[in-house]
Amino acid sequence: MTFEWIQIPYALLTIFIVLNYGLLMTALIAKIAARVGRRHGIPIWQNYADLVKNYGLRSSITHGVMFYMGPVFRLTGGVGLLLFVPTIYGSVMFSNLSFAGDLILALYFVFFGTLGMALGAAESGHPYSAIGITRGLSQVTMAELPLALAVFAVALHYQTLSITEIVAAQQGGFLNWTLFTNPLAVAAAMLAFLGSMMRPPFDVVLAPQEIPIGPPTEYHSSYLALMQTNRVLFPIAKIVVYMNLFFGGATSWPEFFIKVFLIYMVSVLVGVVFPRFRVEQSIRWFMIWAVPIGILAIVLA
Amino acid sequence: MVSAIYPLAAALASAFLLGLLHERQRAPAYAITLGVLGFMTLTAASWVWGFAQTGQAGFEIYTAGVAPPFAISLRLGLAEASLMLLINLTGLLSAIHLQAPLLAHGRRAMAVLLIAVMALGGLVMTRDLFNLFVFIELIVIATGGLVLLSDDPRAVVAGFKYLIISQLVTVFLLIGIIFAYHGTGTLNIDGMAMTTMGLASGGALAFFLMFIAVVIETKPFPANGWALDIYESAHPAFAAIFSAASAAAALFAVDKLLLIGGSDWLPIATGIGILSFVGANLLALPQTNDRRLLGYSSIAQTGLVLVVLGQRDLLGDHTLYVAGGLLLANAVAKAGLFWLSDLIPKREPAAWAALRHHPLALFAFATLLALLVGLPPFPSFYAKWDLVHPLADAGRLWLLGLILFGTLLEAGYLFRWFGYSLKREAPALTGSLVSPRFGVVLVAVAAAWLLALLWGELSVHDNLLLAVPLAFALAFLALDWLPARVKNALAITGLVAYFALTYTDYDPLRMIFAVIFLLGSALTMLAGFDVQGRRPGFYPSVMLMLAGLIMLIRATDSFAFFAAWEVLTIGSYFLILRGKRSEPHALSYLLFSFGGALAMLAGFALAAQGAPSIELVALAQVAESVAPWVFLLLAIGFMTKTAAIGLHIWLPGAHAEAELDVSPMVSGILLKAGLYGLMVLLLAMGTQRLAGVDLVDLLLWIGALTAFLGNLMAIFQEDAKRLLAYSSIGQMGYAIFGLALMNHLGWLMALMFVINHYIYKSMLFLAVGGVARRTGTRQMFLMGGLITLMPLSFIAVMIGIIAMSGVPPLSGFGGRWIFYNAILATDARLPIALIFLSGPIAFLYLFRLIHTIFLGQLKDEHRQVKEAPFWILLPQMIYVAILIVAALVPGLLLRHVDQYLTEFFPFGALNWEGLRITSDFGYWNPVAIMLTIGVIFMLLLSWLLFVNRRAQKVKQFNIVFSAERPYRPETTHFAWNFFAPYRKAMGFLVQPLVTRFWDLITQTLHGIGEMTRRIYNGNAQTYAFHLIGFVVVVFLLGPGGTA
Amino acid sequence: MVFIAMAAGFILILIGFYGALTNRNLLRMIVSFTLADTGVHIVLVAVGALPGRTAPILDASVPVAEAVTRIVDPVPQALVLTAIVIGLGVTTLMLAYAYRLFAQKGTLDIAKFTELKW
Repeated sequence: MTFEWIQIPYALLTIFIVLNYGLLMTALIAKIAARVGRRHGIPIWQNYADLVKNYGLRSSITHGVMFYMGPVFRLTGGVGLLLFVPTIYGSVMFSNLSFAGDLILALYFVFFGTLGMALGAAESGHPYSAIGITRGLSQVTMAELPLALAVFAVALHYQTLSITEIVAAQQGGFLNWTLFTNPLAVAAAMLAFLGSMMRPPFDVVLAPQEIPIGPPTEYHSSYLALMQTNRVLFPIAKIVVYMNLFFGGATSWPEFFIKVFLIYMVSVLVGVVFPRFRVEQSIRWFMIWAVPIGILAIVLA
Repeated sequence: MVSAIYPLAAALASAFLLGLLHERQRAPAYAITLGVLGFMTLTAASWVWGFAQTGQAGFEIYTAGVAPPFAISLRLGLAEASLMLLINLTGLLSAIHLQAPLLAHGRRAMAVLLIAVMALGGLVMTRDLFNLFVFIELIVIATGGLVLLSDDPRAVVAGFKYLIISQLVTVFLLIGIIFAYHGTGTLNIDGMAMTTMGLASGGALAFFLMFIAVVIETKPFPANGWALDIYESAHPAFAAIFSAASAAAALFAVDKLLLIGGSDWLPIATGIGILSFVGANLLALPQTNDRRLLGYSSIAQTGLVLVVLGQRDLLGDHTLYVAGGLLLANAVAKAGLFWLSDLIPKREPAAWAALRHHPLALFAFATLLALLVGLPPFPSFYAKWDLVHPLADAGRLWLLGLILFGTLLEAGYLFRWFGYSLKREAPALTGSLVSPRFGVVLVAVAAAWLLALLWGELSVHDNLLLAVPLAFALAFLALDWLPARVKNALAITGLVAYFALTYTDYDPLRMIFAVIFLLGSALTMLAGFDVQGRRPGFYPSVMLMLAGLIMLIRATDSFAFFAAWEVLTIGSYFLILRGKRSEPHALSYLLFSFGGALAMLAGFALAAQGAPSIELVALAQVAESVAPWVFLLLAIGFMTKTAAIGLHIWLPGAHAEAELDVSPMVSGILLKAGLYGLMVLLLAMGTQRLAGVDLVDLLLWIGALTAFLGNLMAIFQEDAKRLLAYSSIGQMGYAIFGLALMNHLGWLMALMFVINHYIYKSMLFLAVGGVARRTGTRQMFLMGGLITLMPLSFIAVMIGIIAMSGVPPLSGFGGRWIFYNAILATDARLPIALIFLSGPIAFLYLFRLIHTIFLGQLKDEHRQVKEAPFWILLPQMIYVAILIVAALVPGLLLRHVDQYLTEFFPFGALNWEGLRITSDFGYWNPVAIMLTIGVIFMLLLSWLLFVNRRAQKVKQFNIVFSAERPYRPETTHFAWNFFAPYRKAMGFLVQPLVTRFWDLITQTLHGIGEMTRRIYNGNAQTYAFHLIGFVVVVFLLGPGGTA
Repeated sequence: MVFIAMAAGFILILIGFYGALTNRNLLRMIVSFTLADTGVHIVLVAVGALPGRTAPILDASVPVAEAVTRIVDPVPQALVLTAIVIGLGVTTLMLAYAYRLFAQKGTLDIAKFTELKW
């Protein structure tokens, strides 16, 4: 696979579709969660309204260069991750820029936004930002471990690092999905997934948000708009990786929408049931429950 | 050749003549003394020259014109002549040193000195047993007199103890001589040797008594309390004679006696020798008196020579070279150090800091210590190498191990002492350096270097002193008076020129190291232009280290390799020691490195199987029975340098406390030496199994554990440089892991780590060093918010941490990508889990580094801080450029290495087609990644800049903060104990168990030394008991036990 | 006779050693050593002695031609003479030392002179 200029509009199209889907889906999930709590919830177009408002606002303050760059890093991370992974299997249009790199690129690019965000938020000088970052980094290092182990188990299993090839290997019936051929790896990866979705019980990272709002504390207006965009794109980009690796990928947009929604719902379901962990508790939890499964997965692979 | 009789006669005659002078004619008496000693020295020198030039064999001199057994005969050969030169020269120089006391005590003291020197020479030359006895007694009496030259009133007691002991020795010696004579009918040593003591056990007993009497003259442990007391209390110039000349003569006498005893007695000599060597070195550890310390060391060295004499059956004709090397090294070093000790005002070793402000004196001290420890290029280095090899071949491994252990102990206390001299509070010297008293020390130093040259010339190996890099490094000693900037320019030019001259010599693997060692260090040294003034001692040290490094990659045989290793170790030790608070850390660095080097020495010796050295490539053909051990020993040696877990405790302190531009060198450059060693080892020996364990698997685990624990420890550091140091441990763990994978990509990854680690560690250490320089602290929580004040340093750190964490698009990602591909091809799964965990943990400390220093709240005391100096920034910016280029076109250097590795690992090579890099499993296109990310990033950034073009930067405390307005940066900057949750969850893994383990070992050794030295309770009668006990025990273990 | 001399010599040596090791008084130690020295001298002479022969002095009563069969071995005797001289020297030196030690501390007890240790 090599680069053609036509891939740029195709890539933009992917971003457009995923963005709209993401806006609607997150709103829908928020609404579901509200209904579970016997509240009415937000209107389904609320995200559009927020986004338009924030993009429309002009800020007159900044805390410095890195403060600027934080949201840029963040969104670059989200968009980049989305583009480095093929969205729809078998489609030239929606294989995006996956010629640039394989699974490892996706795995490591996840950190790009995190790092940039951390840098930006930290320049604001707000202690809550720093506290949120340390909590987030501490937790994510341990949460990512089972994922890395699972990914590696899958790569070993299929003897390739190319996402396209991994998806190809899972075609021909859902029993060919990694979910069924390598359940241990998927179990580990899904536990890791819980840790990285910023939902209970692993959402203490955002706790300062409530007093007032954690790493993005100082961000507002257009800065916040970029971050909100990323908030919508990034989880989906991540889920795409999960979908491709463990759930057979998607051959069409409808399949994509359903799978992404269902995978997202896993974290939502767990989230509404369990109370919040402190960071050291979640580290221990991952150490005790998720990591051994991951290790088993690679040892048996 | 002047007859051997004349010097003896001249000394005797002038000793009598002095008696005729008037008591007050002291100056002429002194002149006569010096004249006679000078004559004796010149005569001996002419003999040495004669023997060395003509290669003439030794000859006998019949004193009464009749052959033995009817008259006494002397022998003069190269060995005798050299010892005579040593003795007479020591006598002469000590006499010069003793000027004041000799003039104060008058002609009688001078006569006694002449007699002492004459008797020592006689002891060396005589071939007659009874004559031997006479000379020993003369030495006893003369020693008894000369001890009293000291100002120390305690010397009287010491002398008396010595006389008591010598009374006992006399009895043993005379009884032994008379019965030996009775058995053989001759007193001539050679004649007696030929008759082989016909009297079964009776003859053996007679010989035993003579032998033990002479052995006691070498002050063997533990029957040597008297000698220690003399060392401690006598005038240092006499102690020099006592250590250098007396010990040499006594050893030579033992050697002569062994001629009679034959090979049965060699093990006994060896046993006594090794007991002395290890015992005395152990007891020297807790010493608090410098001269007593030197005494212990002297006893130990004498013991070592005794071991060599006892190994005559193995060494054969080579004994002279080995024993001579050790003996002369010890003699010159001890004489020099004792003389030097006279300039030190107090007797505790820390008082040697008096030398601190006198570069020449310090150089002398360093030279003499290096000579004593046996560092290259000094004779004892060659000698130890040549001693250890036959031992390993003959399977005398216990002896080998004990020798190495003793050597390590010795290096421990000697370098601890050297550390004091540089780092402790400096008292004033007692006397001027422009005096004969210091002049004689310089003669010893000159002798040390001459001996180095000579032993190199005589050795079967290359002469180290003539190696170009080493010579270049040593030349900086002579240039030390130049301004630092001139020297810096010279050094950089030299490095680059050497690379230009030799770059065709290296294969791609070595090329990487050559580039880092030569060009890389030149780049780092740009920071050296920042230093004003002369910077004394810096350039010799750094060039010594670099010379060692470059000699290391140019070495083809084990000897050159090992010598280079020692050179780089000692150079880096001096370099690390320069840091303000680095004294204990430099010592621990040296001890680990030296211990590792000794393990290597043992490994090489085992591998050589009797040959003087082994080609490095021939390691592949080492016999199967020893190969795993060779592998293990060498690997341990190399891993001390890469600070593998368990052997890592020296690194954080050493790297953190080093000077600003030294830290990048010892971290970015020096650590690679260990990796290079491991590569050479693994390429040659491949996998080895020991007791069913695959050693390479073990290495894999060590690498993974090191990576994990190194990173984990890094996140809990408050000190920025310590954080970087711990991170180096982790990074080296990765590299070891890569090598131990033993596949193509594993090696490629390790090499990529070699390059990357050099770049980003050098950069980060410089950046952090620059910040520490400006803020005056290394504690990160005391900093904060420096981004606007030090933007360039910030950029360097940011690029550094992005590269290091492996996040795309910078070059660290390439390393990770290769790493994943490499582990896909291996079966070792479990250690991989550990390695996986260490990757994200690296994020934690890297973020902490940049956040707590540059982001967050600026402190009031740092509001005026300026950007780091230009010369410190310059290399950083160059590194930034290199990192970006390397990220775009990693193939520039790597594809050649990749190709080269195919020779050793044919499968799994990468495909470097166009801009895309493909492996068996995946692919990667650095340019596409960089472009994609760059375009998205720039688009978003320009949009944001555009919409916020009117945004103003707000003040520091303009933040939303729980309805309060913060006003103190200290309480607002979240920095201390940054990863508290992590400590709660994982803290149990970073308990300092390893540190406690090594502490326990050192404390135990000290404890044993402290307890054991209590046997020397100071009572002369106890010492006599020791002696008799010693004799009895040796008898029971030796001839008595077998009879 | 030779045996008795030899035994006496060794007994003297042992007495000397015992005395030197058990007496704390400097002078007594020195005397003990002279005893041991004397013992050594006796042993030396005893080893050289051959019963029934005469002193190794070549004069009218012992012609040179018969000397080898009629005199005792002269070497041990020469050695003894030297040893006695040297012993004298060492003993003198020790006495001088004892004097200086006494001058320092006013005691002759060897156990009092233990500042130098360890």
